[in-house]
Amino acid sequence: MRLRRHVAALFVSAALVAVVTGAVFALRGSAPVLSLGVLYLFAVLPAAVFFGTPYAVLVAVSSMLAFNFFFLEPVHTFALRDSENWVALAVYVATAVVVGELAAWARRRATEARRREREAEFLAEVSATLLEADQVRDRLKQIATRTAEVLGLRRGRIELESFRRPERAEAAIDLRAGRRDVGRFFYDAGEAPDAAMVERIVPPLASVLAVALDRERLARTALEAETLRRSDAIKTAVLRSVSHDLRSPLTAIRAAADGLERADLDLDAEDRAELVDAIRAEAARLERVVTNLIDLSRLEAGAVSPRPEVWSADELVARSLEPLAAAAERVVVVLPADLPVARVDAAQIERALVNLIENALKFSSSKDEVTVTVERDDGSLFIRVRDRGPGVAPTQLGRIFEPFERGAAGSTGLGLAIALGFAQANGGRIDVASRPGEGATFSLVLPLADVPAQMRA
Amino acid sequence: MTRQHVLVVDDEPQILRALQTNLRGAGYDVTTATTGGEALTQAAVRPPDALILDLILPDRSGTDVCRELRTWTSVPILVLSAVGDEREKVAALDAGADDYVTKPFGMEELLARLRAAMRRAAPSTEPVIRIGELVIDLERHAVTVNGSDVPLTPIEFALLRYFAQNEGKLLTHPMILREVWGPAYGDESHYLHVYVSQLRRKIEPDPARPKYILTETGAGYRLVDPVGARS
Repeated sequence: MRLRRHVAALFVSAALVAVVTGAVFALRGSAPVLSLGVLYLFAVLPAAVFFGTPYAVLVAVSSMLAFNFFFLEPVHTFALRDSENWVALAVYVATAVVVGELAAWARRRATEARRREREAEFLAEVSATLLEADQVRDRLKQIATRTAEVLGLRRGRIELESFRRPERAEAAIDLRAGRRDVGRFFYDAGEAPDAAMVERIVPPLASVLAVALDRERLARTALEAETLRRSDAIKTAVLRSVSHDLRSPLTAIRAAADGLERADLDLDAEDRAELVDAIRAEAARLERVVTNLIDLSRLEAGAVSPRPEVWSADELVARSLEPLAAAAERVVVVLPADLPVARVDAAQIERALVNLIENALKFSSSKDEVTVTVERDDGSLFIRVRDRGPGVAPTQLGRIFEPFERGAAGSTGLGLAIALGFAQANGGRIDVASRPGEGATFSLVLPLADVPAQMRA
Repeated sequence: MTRQHVLVVDDEPQILRALQTNLRGAGYDVTTATTGGEALTQAAVRPPDALILDLILPDRSGTDVCRELRTWTSVPILVLSAVGDEREKVAALDAGADDYVTKPFGMEELLARLRAAMRRAAPSTEPVIRIGELVIDLERHAVTVNGSDVPLTPIEFALLRYFAQNEGKLLTHPMILREVWGPAYGDESHYLHVYVSQLRRKIEPDPARPKYILTETGAGYRLVDPVGARS
């Protein structure tokens, strides 16, 4: 590579001298020959700028020799008759050296600037990469590759907070931020990184990594604290709600059973039937509260792994109406003409929908309808549950999915948290649209599945 | 006719007591066991006409008891499962249980399931099956609801026929797949639920509130007579 460069430089230099010699030959009739010698600067300058001082001097000397040989008396000899020709030669050589040095200096400055720019760019890129990453370790590979590139190495690997010795085929550079050891940069043993470059980019790289590591650690601590605080809050809320939502049906059941037993009460058949009904209804209520508590604890423990199968929207809606039994009588269902399907865990989606519908029933008057509409749009299945209750205030919208967030009716605020948990576990979400006074629409949005063409009978 | 004998296996005395009272009231002869080992011994000594079996027992799981019983008897088995052990329930059905009820259950429901499980002789071979407003003519491959013809695809008809011949019984997904698609059922079986939904759209008056074909969560389907089948 280097040799080729020299050969090329020699050729170009020779060509420059030849071209200028030709030009002098052509012009020698129109001007005194001696004054045309200055034209050789056109050969010396490019050589100085592009190939450096040694070539400039070489071109200057050969120019002078060519000028002497072809144009100065005695022509076709290298002898010099006049001493002023020596002066001209000296001027050419001096010019060549000065220009060559100037050019080399400028070139060095430009290279330096470009390199600094690259370094700055590199560090900025690393910082940006680390800032947008949640985990420093996720981006290490990318950063190591870039570092290797900047250091002119084929490949590299960064190991954080590991100080293992390099293996046989490896070499390592310590990443140190001040006194702190951040990790090591490993590269192939045969390669030699640019030492000056290493000195310049490694310390800032180490600092940036150290900052990112600290940031990650802080975030983790904060998250742990927040989780603890939340689970504490949830426990308190569970205890509070247990006392209300579990005790009141139990109280009603005991009272009804006691009433049935007592001989001194004057109960007719209708009264007895009513007490039996009360026991059954309260037991059912208790069952729903217990199911919700179990669901919530499974969701909070992350113990919900869906077993997805292909289900029609019809089925998902039908299953959610069944456990609500008589309560679901004022639910109006609007199904589309076709049969949209989704790949979900039907038992979990049932729990999500039961809670959305129960919520809608709870927050609307017993005279109003609750509408469940199934629609498909843009790759998604929408199951919309609309009530005509008081709606959700804009300030409440962000909080209604928190467990134990109670609405006006004051029942256990578990339903929406559970609905959202199961929706998300199945790749879905819940959208809420509401205007105070005009009711609310909760939309369960699930990804649509495909059904083979031959089935669409 | 002698009273039919039911063996109830549960380790919770309150549940045992409630079941015993209710079953005796319904005309059954009841014996009880509180462990899996005891249940196996009793079933061998005095074979019952049906077994009600809790899935969680102190010495072994109800599923294990099922599996062991099935090595020598085809007595109808109804398992009691709790909310949350869907997997255990499915395992018990795979191990040979005929049906299940989920705790807490109503007595009506339990008795209906017990009756259906005990009516487990050969499925109906009547040429025309009538269930509620549904009339299925097996010879002409014709179905009417409320007197009007309902055109069904061959798969839909095969499904409905199988459901109707086993009225009231739980049919698990593998049972349906084997019966309708044959032993080497292929990809279309992934869409069993969708076929059932299509069938419902044709025979149910309100597909969002099915009366005939009921879904049993995680287990299968059951075709019932809407009049007085479930509370």
